[in-house]
Amino acid sequence: MGEDRFNLPPGFRFHPTDEELVVHFLYSKVALLPCHPDIIPDVDLYRYDPWELNGKALSGDNQLYFFSHITQERISPNGYWKHLGVDDPITSASQTVGFKKFLVFYIGEAPVGIKTNWVMHEYHLLDGATTSRSSRRRGKPRIASNEWVLCRVHESNCGDDGIELSCLDEVFLSMDDLDEISLPN
Amino acid sequence: MEDMSLSVNGQSRVPPGFRFHPTEEELLHYYLRKKVAYEKIDLDVIRDVDLNKLEPWDIQEKCKIGSTPQNDWYFFSHKDKKYPTGTRTNRATAAGFWKATGRDKVIYTSFKRIGMRKTLVFYKGRAPHGQKSDWIMHEYRLDDHTDNSPQSNASSSVGESTQEEGWVVCRVFKKKNYHKTMDSPKNSSITSDGHTQMFHSTSDGALDQILQYMGRMCKQETEPNNNRNCYNNNFNTNTNYSNISRCLLRPIETNMGNGVYERSMQLPPLDSPTVQTLSGSSQSCYTPGDVPAMATGTEASVTDQSGGGHLNPVYPVEQGISDWATLDRLLASQFNGHGETSRQLASCFNDPNLNFCSTQDQDLPLLPYLRSRSFNPNQDYNSDNDLWNFGRSSSL
Repeated sequence: MGEDRFNLPPGFRFHPTDEELVVHFLYSKVALLPCHPDIIPDVDLYRYDPWELNGKALSGDNQLYFFSHITQERISPNGYWKHLGVDDPITSASQTVGFKKFLVFYIGEAPVGIKTNWVMHEYHLLDGATTSRSSRRRGKPRIASNEWVLCRVHESNCGDDGIELSCLDEVFLSMDDLDEISLPN
Repeated sequence: MEDMSLSVNGQSRVPPGFRFHPTEEELLHYYLRKKVAYEKIDLDVIRDVDLNKLEPWDIQEKCKIGSTPQNDWYFFSHKDKKYPTGTRTNRATAAGFWKATGRDKVIYTSFKRIGMRKTLVFYKGRAPHGQKSDWIMHEYRLDDHTDNSPQSNASSSVGESTQEEGWVVCRVFKKKNYHKTMDSPKNSSITSDGHTQMFHSTSDGALDQILQYMGRMCKQETEPNNNRNCYNNNFNTNTNYSNISRCLLRPIETNMGNGVYERSMQLPPLDSPTVQTLSGSSQSCYTPGDVPAMATGTEASVTDQSGGGHLNPVYPVEQGISDWATLDRLLASQFNGHGETSRQLASCFNDPNLNFCSTQDQDLPLLPYLRSRSFNPNQDYNSDNDLWNFGRSSSL
């Protein structure tokens, strides 16, 4: 999904940087600006378990991308997303433009669910970054219908997909160091 | 500039958010196959590069695609042989060289072998004194040689490239600092500690492989004659010693580096069934303070504070020794602390080349000796004399 319509040669995939996600995609969405390419769909995340998202979200390189409404209750039919308490700032031209939250999916009911490998990065625009000024002026509550987050979901594993060094590679690399210890013979 | 083919009228043809991020299969099956068959490739996304003339830090400029930030870079390279008669490839540049690491990995597409991947690290300087860098290269070559597989449709050009000479497609990237994975769309992880992340996410299979590999390595080097005489009071020759140190140190040092295996490699504590009887009973047992005295005979010991002058080999029980490491350390400290004794030993232990300066390392050489002794709780100490003779004889 996504790659084909641009007539790109094999190997090109949707693989955005954090900055692109926030500045290009999320900003356009929130500011109601036209977005090219307009490829990221809206999904009500909390209606689905993560394994149901395939086909509903934009997939690129084993990651699933979609817009969702901001909510505090991240509960799905069979589990919940737990915020890990860490937010990373997203910068563009050395200015903070947004942040991302890290979440992990647990099966069952909070707080005793079973942790899974499903990980979500939830991208937020920074408050006041043109976001929902219009809605605030009209006196609407903070959680307005036009407040969106961009979600990126994937199932994490140390897959040896050749993109990064495999775990085994790392071990071999560290063993190379040992080779360099010269032993008198 | 050079990325003209990817842009039309100055506008990149690659829409925002898209990157060249090919799978291994795409690299081999699509790009490299076309390359070796002299077929035209739609967009000139992968350039030809003379690896010997290009430093890794120049690759990003030379091989950039469009104007979007990249984490990895791709190019075709034609492998040359290092020597006209040999089969080795020359991968040296002006500033350093690429050194292969690990084993080549077979690349499959739907269970069919299509090629191989070699992992290389860039070292600055000249072998063997190069300085390792963070630049990593995956070098892919076509190789569909499988046993008796009927692949008649594979073109002859594919076959040619299986030799050491020929076109390869390479991907160069900088090794991730695992403390900073935020910008990596692939591997963004929550843990901040590199090792934890790496090993927690390791599948059991990979771990098994590692352990197997280590076991094999260790076995190869301990066999067979190194082991025997090196513990038989024969600490005089450096050759013997270095053999031991090699068989002992290599896997264990790796473990210390990674932290994870320490648990699995630790020696069993002495509270195994037989030994429990030892500490539980009122049988003879050494106390930490006594051991040095016992071993050194008459001379005062550095670590000895309680029983300096004991010559009597039988000692009253006071407490058990909690684990092998403690015992080990005692002996090690004994040998080292004892000036005259350790003239020879010190040359082994403290030889900087052997990396034996830390206490942990000093513990190692004695372990097999101790472990090989049966710690029969009923055994009289006199029968264990050779253990201490070892210390004495070397002091004489």
